[in-house]
Amino acid sequence: MLTGRERVLWGALCAPALGVLGAVFLWPLGASVLASVTRDGALTLAHYETVWRLYARDVLYTVGVAAAGTALTFAVAIPACGWLRLRAFGPVEFLLKVPLFVPFVVVGHALRVALTPYAPGLVGSWSGIALALAWKHLGLVVVLLLGAFRGVDESYLEAARDAGAPERRLIRDILVPMSVPALVVSGILTLSSMLASFSIPLMMSRGGGPQMLMIDVYYRYGQHGDFATASALGVVAYLLAMGAALVYLRRLTA
Amino acid sequence: MSALVARAAGLALAAFCIVGPLTSLAVWSLAERWTFPSAWPQRFGLRYWQRVATGDFLEPLRLGLLIAAIVTLVALAMAIPLGYALARLAVPGRAAILLLFLLPQAFPQLPVFASATREFYRFGLAGTIPGVVLIHLVGALVFAVWTMTAVFRAIAPALEEAAWNLGASTTRAFASIALPLAVPGIVASAVLVFLYSLDEFTGTLLIGAPFVTTLPVSMYTASLGYELQIASVTAIVLMAPGAVLLLLLERFLKADYLVFFGQL
Repeated sequence: MLTGRERVLWGALCAPALGVLGAVFLWPLGASVLASVTRDGALTLAHYETVWRLYARDVLYTVGVAAAGTALTFAVAIPACGWLRLRAFGPVEFLLKVPLFVPFVVVGHALRVALTPYAPGLVGSWSGIALALAWKHLGLVVVLLLGAFRGVDESYLEAARDAGAPERRLIRDILVPMSVPALVVSGILTLSSMLASFSIPLMMSRGGGPQMLMIDVYYRYGQHGDFATASALGVVAYLLAMGAALVYLRRLTA
Repeated sequence: MSALVARAAGLALAAFCIVGPLTSLAVWSLAERWTFPSAWPQRFGLRYWQRVATGDFLEPLRLGLLIAAIVTLVALAMAIPLGYALARLAVPGRAAILLLFLLPQAFPQLPVFASATREFYRFGLAGTIPGVVLIHLVGALVFAVWTMTAVFRAIAPALEEAAWNLGASTTRAFASIALPLAVPGIVASAVLVFLYSLDEFTGTLLIGAPFVTTLPVSMYTASLGYELQIASVTAIVLMAPGAVLLLLLERFLKADYLVFFGQL
């Protein structure tokens, strides 16, 4: 269908977007991976030894906070979406989508000032960060999950209702099992986003104790000027995210 | 009756959890004096809101709006043809290209942006507006390419096929049929991209420092200096465009253009 000249024209029209992605994302990504395994041009694992020595605890801490945040998000989202699927209620649905449109930095600051007067110990602790992350991610998870729950055919629910099942059972035994793909995909999106979270922990941060991985990357590069170790930390984060992404891809192509 | 009680309870719970933290932003923005362990500010006033009219606030706002406008124009100019090609034309490696445009959302951005900062220094782009526009374009293109592909896919191909049969070239059919039909989708995509750029923090913090400061960055600086009131005022201003978008989406767009996200 495309003539030769059109082929050139469309190629030229499509190239800039790919060029930007390549130059501003893929190239720096490659450069950071390379920097993490070289020193003065020679291959080395020394930067990873530094990561292991100084940041092993922070890696575990980050995984723990992200897991707790994801668990909290779904502990709220599953019953809420189930309830909304069984009886549509616009105002609650609207409220639950609100976090989707609140910027990450604002969420971090809002949770910080909300907790400061009443629970100052929570600000910047693992539970405070997990709470703020869960608050922010609730919006997207509700949109995805409610879509999946609404896709479940009404006749299954009617049959169970006729058999006398209470709402709790409808959610647990019908809506959730029939929405496993959506649960897995939204769970992975949430987990990998929380693993890579930067602005929320930064806005809630405090001095000592274990830190989220991205905070370590930021200070290692910004204050110590140590790009190689920052990159090695980054690669650890890439690998964590990639593990999550692989499961996601398998779901997409399955 | 019990159904009504359940609804009221559900609404109250959702309102407390969601509106609660946002309300505390408003309270803090008005708190002229609030010391621990008082549960409520000792003195209220508009002192911190008056700062909104000063250059400390208006300059980052102006800069952020300018950058967001440029990012939106450039991202759409790039994403509209690519989106059409991915939706309609036989593009080699179509699925791979779409996945590539998911990477910046799926991967930890901060280490990549830190690396980009180093590259930008070599080209004199760090601390400049073009540098910040470039770093915003990465995330903006994710939204723009995916929404534009979805928008063109949602347009029935029969109209363009009719044009082809009547002898119109692919480019002609795109320009006079698909493009006009895509206008509502283009507007939706533009709103998403504009908002993304306005709220972007990580890239701006790294690339923009120390000369290009937008509102999210000035909010971080304020909160770093324990100026919680100033930061709260800024946070409320930052939320306003998102609130408008949420209302618009609810009224006019529904989530139609978002459901395609992440589907190949």
